[in-house]
Amino acid sequence: MKGEFILDRNHLSYWLRQMRKSRELIGPLMDGGKDIVFKSVDKIHELVLDCPASLPSPKEFLFPQYESMLRFTPLHLPLTKGGQGGVSLSEKAIEDLSDKTKRVIFGVRSCDISALSLMDKFYIEGHKDPYYARRRENTLFISIVCNNPDPTCFCIGLGTGPYLEKGFDIQMTDLGDRYFVQIGSHEGAKTVKAMSFLFRRPQKTDYEDQYEVFLSSKARFHKRINLEGIRQMILEEKVKDDFWQWVAGRCFECGGCVYDCPLCTCFTVTDRTYSEGIERVRLWDTCMFKGFTRMAGGVLPNEKMVKRTKRWYYHKLIYYPESLGGFGCVGCGRCTITCPGKIDMASIAARLKGLVLNEEEE
Amino acid sequence: MNKILTVCPYCGCGCGLYLHVENGQIVGVSPSRSHPVNMGSLCVKGWNAHEFIAHPDRLKYPLIRKNRRGSPENRRFSGVSWDEALNLVAAILDEIKKKHGPDSIGILSSAKCTNEENYLMMKFARAVLGTNNIDHCARLCHSSTVGGLAAAFGSGAMTNSISEIADAKVLFVIGSNTTEQHPMIGMHMLEAVDRGATLIVADPRRTKIAEFAHIHLRQKSGTDVALLMGIMNAIVNEGLVDVDFVRRRTENFDTFEETLRRYSPDIVEGITGVKAGDIRRVARIYAMEKRSMLFYAMGITQHITGVDNVRACANLVMLTGHIGLPMSGLNPLRGQNNVQGACDMGGLPNVYSGYQTVTDPGARKKFEMAWRRRLPEKPGLTLMEMMDRAYEGKLKAMYIMGENPLISDPDLTHVREALERLEFLVVQDIFPNETSEYADVILPASSYAEKDGTFTNTERRVQLLGKAIEPVGESRPDWEIISDLSSRMGYTMNYRGTYEIMEEIALLTPSYGGILHHRLQEGFGLQWPCHDINHSGTQYLHRKKFARGLGTFITVDFVPPDEPPDDEYPFLLTTGRVYFRYHTGTMCGRTAVLEREEPESFVEINPDDAERLGIRNRSMVKVSSRRGAIELKAYVTNRTPLGIVFIPFHFRDAAANILTNPATDPSAKIPEYKVCAVKVEPLVRPQKVKRVPSVDLEALRIT
Ligand code: SF4
Ligand code: SF4
Ligand code: SF4
Repeated sequence: MKGEFILDRNHLSYWLRQMRKSRELIGPLMDGGKDIVFKSVDKIHELVLDCPASLPSPKEFLFPQYESMLRFTPLHLPLTKGGQGGVSLSEKAIEDLSDKTKRVIFGVRSCDISALSLMDKFYIEGHKDPYYARRRENTLFISIVCNNPDPTCFCIGLGTGPYLEKGFDIQMTDLGDRYFVQIGSHEGAKTVKAMSFLFRRPQKTDYEDQYEVFLSSKARFHKRINLEGIRQMILEEKVKDDFWQWVAGRCFECGGCVYDCPLCTCFTVTDRTYSEGIERVRLWDTCMFKGFTRMAGGVLPNEKMVKRTKRWYYHKLIYYPESLGGFGCVGCGRCTITCPGKIDMASIAARLKGLVLNEEEE
Repeated sequence: MNKILTVCPYCGCGCGLYLHVENGQIVGVSPSRSHPVNMGSLCVKGWNAHEFIAHPDRLKYPLIRKNRRGSPENRRFSGVSWDEALNLVAAILDEIKKKHGPDSIGILSSAKCTNEENYLMMKFARAVLGTNNIDHCARLCHSSTVGGLAAAFGSGAMTNSISEIADAKVLFVIGSNTTEQHPMIGMHMLEAVDRGATLIVADPRRTKIAEFAHIHLRQKSGTDVALLMGIMNAIVNEGLVDVDFVRRRTENFDTFEETLRRYSPDIVEGITGVKAGDIRRVARIYAMEKRSMLFYAMGITQHITGVDNVRACANLVMLTGHIGLPMSGLNPLRGQNNVQGACDMGGLPNVYSGYQTVTDPGARKKFEMAWRRRLPEKPGLTLMEMMDRAYEGKLKAMYIMGENPLISDPDLTHVREALERLEFLVVQDIFPNETSEYADVILPASSYAEKDGTFTNTERRVQLLGKAIEPVGESRPDWEIISDLSSRMGYTMNYRGTYEIMEEIALLTPSYGGILHHRLQEGFGLQWPCHDINHSGTQYLHRKKFARGLGTFITVDFVPPDEPPDDEYPFLLTTGRVYFRYHTGTMCGRTAVLEREEPESFVEINPDDAERLGIRNRSMVKVSSRRGAIELKAYVTNRTPLGIVFIPFHFRDAAANILTNPATDPSAKIPEYKVCAVKVEPLVRPQKVKRVPSVDLEALRIT
């Protein structure tokens, strides 16, 4: 279901307000001075649309930092003579705690939307993760064509932004006094249809204006990074071990790159014993820590930092394209913002290019 | 989902973070991008600061037991109402006070609690109980700074700000494992190095920050005074002294110089093991660049010469005039999230808030008038002295808020015995811990996410906490507990909220004079001194004159550590922390990822020593000192030099503090955690260790 519409600027808040009646409305709000945080929207007029990147990425609404999965209440059966009994777990004793809230996430950036398609492949195709899948079904994303990229953004070289051709539910372009609304999914269409009296069909000038926004947005990027080139360098073994050693030496082991990245999927599962029962929770984890791959008996196959930092890059640049058909990076620039060691995707790509070019010249 | 801006509860960097709240539960954390300290980053502890809040172990209601020495039945804790618990505490404290005098009670305040709570705690000790016996864990980390710098400059805090670091030209870091213990400050340092600054690190261990250093001085543990004197001697001899500064802004230089003459770099080389050439080089680099910042942490303070070490640092910055300017100064890195605040609030036996001394009749009068009670005149007992008195049976009761001395204090066997001998022990915390096992009453407190108030970070930034959720179970914020208890003891504390307490603090504390909650709501807090409501805070201290007028050169002399290695105990043990752990593990031990990363204690030992003793990597060893012995895994690494072993102090099993020496600095009473003599024995049959020849990275280093 495709469609293109125009929404008057004055009608946006009405539309969102109506949507909020059936879904939790999440959007970008300003806090602590200049921070952008995605949270439940109380006052719709406080939404900030021309905003810098938020931390962490909106993946937190599909794959949250802390997620209660289930609770089980073990039944204590008396011990019988034959040594039977003890703790039993019946079906009934297990309670599903997965989140069923319907949400609409408004004001998401294009890069984060393009990350979803790979996340879907990872979490839904093949082995289906019910927690992710349910949240995904219940969440509608309304993305905004980026007209204010951060200096750290580089989606433009990757085709993951600043605007999208497909893969979105609803994409909006800010044309000043009105929005150009594009529909990319069934759920998106339903939402627009329900309020169809707010929308009109676009005219020629609307298309022209939209095109102009696309152009001006593209012109605002500071960075252009060719990840394919970097991938080739690695595949051709032009990147030496001492480079990875240097990278590893600067890692603070904070995990921020993984936590913040819209395409990282590491998690751990742990049980918590409350008096009412045992709760199983899933938490964000990161492959940047040595204990992530600890084996029984305490062996740490990735004890050396260099193995972990290097693996992160190999995963994003080599393994992801092989297994999921796209880079494990959409150029959102969050790792650049968050990495205390400045060994994020963009910095490393820039540095590698410099290094290898220099060597070739010599 | 809601997100509440607040402050990280772990270290003194004081990073700004958001707590994510969904259905009354904390479900996540994210960094603040515009916060001046962390700028969009967090360390692993900050990123995981949400998980422990709702941990099932949380104390949810007050617990009491009939008799902790009685039958198992009587020893068991049972849950009671707040009324019952607080009435009991009030009655017993009253009784002990009447019978043995107020000074038979000791209070431990907490560097984890807010300023308001620390202030109330000290008011409780002084006005309600009538004793100056109040102290907290700053005794164990930076009491030497508070004392040493107060004497030299008149103010014992970090002089400059974190945001200046990136623009500095020389960073001299001594005795601080910055990238691991103050990660976000480490981030600024790395940024400075990237921009071309020279980094000098003095640390016997090859820590992570030392890996980034252009010069790494590996002095013998406990010889910092000598090292600093050597550097100053070179500065004087090479004519690099800022003569004008020394003349106009300082006093007592001449006496100091007489002693200084004895410390030529060559003599210092003999004491410290650092080459005279390196000492001269560091002296030149540090003195000749104007934007030179000096940092130090536990490696300087936790010695019997802790105060002297601090004084030596102070002398160095005065000698070169690197103070009172941006991107310079003397910067002690404070460990706990609010250890600066707990000191500022007077959680110390000798001062009220704002370091107004209890022996000063004027200050005492002021507080007596405000609090409407006569206040004790004599300074109280320090933490270590309280334990000694308890051991002797002279201290009868203790009230410990948010602290776990049974892991953090030196010579644990002695501390355990001391707590056992107390007649009455109240522990107030968010989780049960080693210390609460000895308590008669346990009061459940609320965590940082469930209350408001302020924390002061290491750069004196007073920041507001945001209350994200309602208290877990029946727990209550510490300030509420204290004021409730105090009312039951006949002294009404009637505050409607923490903002009213802050108002009182501002009234009585000149350096916090303009710090009020409503002013902290915008931006990211205010840096004290902030004298009045129009003052916008102070980025760096001692601008035109020192807080005390003239800076004083205090003469120091090298004194060897109290317990140097000998034939029987040939290794020097130094203790410290690891990145994934925080102090006694009350919070991080209940966080899945952090707990997993460093699940157990270990001892770091140099490969040569290990080979000689037949110790293999990861094999079990026994480490013993004159006070006790522990068994733990050996971790064979070049990070630790020959003759030195390192053990982190966090762990309950194999607690390093069973070994440490309780000898203290004579004035600050800080124990010497960084040096004691131990012996190391393999627990399995010694094995022939085969080693892959390793490259000496030091020799390859180009500086
Ligand atoms: S690797 Fe970095 S820039 Fe790329 S998507 Fe992840 S966080 Fe964004
Ligand atoms: S954000 Fe940077 S420092 Fe932190 S784990 Fe990732 S690479 Fe390491
Ligand atoms: S550096 Fe300190 S304050 Fe910042 S996140 Fe880490 S522990 Fe918290």
